[in-house]
Amino acid sequence: MLQVSDIDTYYGNIQALWGVSLRIDEAEIVALVGANGAGKTTLLNTVSGLLHPASGRIEFCGKRIDGMAAYAIVQLGMSHIPEGRRLFPDMSTRENLQLGAYPRRLWKHKEKTLEEVYKIFPILKEKESQLARTLSGGEQQMVAIGRGLMSMPRLCIIDEPSSGLAPVVVDEIFQIILRLRNEDIGIFLVEQNVQQTLEIADRAYVLENGRITLGGESKELLQQEVIRKAYLGL
Amino acid sequence: MIVRVLDIGIAGLLLGGIYALIAVGLTLQYGVARVLNIAHGEFIMIGAFITWSLYIIFGINPLLSLAICGPAIFTIGFLLYRTLFRRLRISSASPAAFEGSSMLACFGLLFIIQNLAILIWGADIKGYSYLAFPIRFWGQTFAANRLITLGFALAIGLIFYFFLTWSRLGKAIRAAAQDAAAAELMGINIDQVLALCFGFGALMAGLGGTLLSMSYKIQPTMGLEYTVIALIVIVLGGLGSIPGSFIGGLLLGLVGSIVTYIQPGLSLVAYYLLFMLLLLAKPTGILGK
Repeated sequence: MLQVSDIDTYYGNIQALWGVSLRIDEAEIVALVGANGAGKTTLLNTVSGLLHPASGRIEFCGKRIDGMAAYAIVQLGMSHIPEGRRLFPDMSTRENLQLGAYPRRLWKHKEKTLEEVYKIFPILKEKESQLARTLSGGEQQMVAIGRGLMSMPRLCIIDEPSSGLAPVVVDEIFQIILRLRNEDIGIFLVEQNVQQTLEIADRAYVLENGRITLGGESKELLQQEVIRKAYLGL
Repeated sequence: MIVRVLDIGIAGLLLGGIYALIAVGLTLQYGVARVLNIAHGEFIMIGAFITWSLYIIFGINPLLSLAICGPAIFTIGFLLYRTLFRRLRISSASPAAFEGSSMLACFGLLFIIQNLAILIWGADIKGYSYLAFPIRFWGQTFAANRLITLGFALAIGLIFYFFLTWSRLGKAIRAAAQDAAAAELMGINIDQVLALCFGFGALMAGLGGTLLSMSYKIQPTMGLEYTVIALIVIVLGGLGSIPGSFIGGLLLGLVGSIVTYIQPGLSLVAYYLLFMLLLLAKPTGILGK
């Protein structure tokens, strides 16, 4: 479904990604792990069109997207749930969710989609008229994921969903991610929480200094000495 | 005494309605599109002069001019963003750099528009008389045109408020104001939305100019004073807050009317004093965070 081939991305004059290639298939959870500053968010931003690669190629559902603007890529069925949640703080839960269905084709059905999202996150229906900035961290993350689902994506990019959340809330978020995969949504997941992430992911890639250094089935990666030492502290 | 207070209050609202309208326009341009539009007042001046010309030359009713000036000035604003400011935004290294370069570009616009206006209309003060008859209520008399000005300013403000609150595009504008990158991830075409915001800002200024010309004298150099007033109002109301700008505009109108009652000619001085006190005491404004 997503095919990234040999991309280089720059921030001004500084090269942040070097020849990165990866693929994500339908209804698959693919994790991206790596240290802070390895370029994980840069890679996600390049895939979703917030940044553009200097060279290489990105294809999504058979369409070349590496020159497209982020707003146009959303309409093809890719949803990027950014790091730090990035809700619209002075808008209600309901309005935040509605905006996830902004493309005209989706806007018409937004009330129906909203009901679906409320089924996944019943707590959000109770808080639908509360301003986003007054919600708890866990609730904000649910709004962020719910807002990403409002565009009825085939691929969801989720950047650090567990950051700043209590362990019990993190478990809940991971359960929801598994549930999305079971509803045939592909997931591209970046997480600090490497152990838990590799446990739910089907496959994973390791990014170091802007280069992919390892990739494969996550069960196998969990056994590898390099991973256990560098990311699991074992 | 009560009659006096009422008199000053209503006069303040009459002035404040216009201030509110032009400040909401500047909030759209600066609070959302990040262009500190020093030439905002020039759009007011153009609105006023187009209305004057249409009335004097073709005898077109100034209220009808709202429907002519509005779309015309909206288009100018929209195209200005699509050409000039969009390019500046793309070529600026950071949002702060864009604020600086776009403000300088606006200075250029100010001189270009003002000099073109002097070429076309000459430098003298102009005016016309329209609906200048008195209306009495609560034992006071008011010029009909001022009441109409206030009515239209309030109506335009209200319509725009509902548009922002309820419509799809209005929600996109508010989202872009709160977090432009996140808005883009929702599928919102930011360039388009910011250009529309700049256009709407120019539209508000243009409509403000049309309304102003019905009760005040106009001249090609009138713009800067209104730009300064709009700047004071958007700081007073809280940067980026549209309801704040509206309330701030009405408040500043009241302040102007009180000061004018005590000592005519000191209103601008009072605005600046209020502005400086505000920057020291509560720089986030009345509805700011």
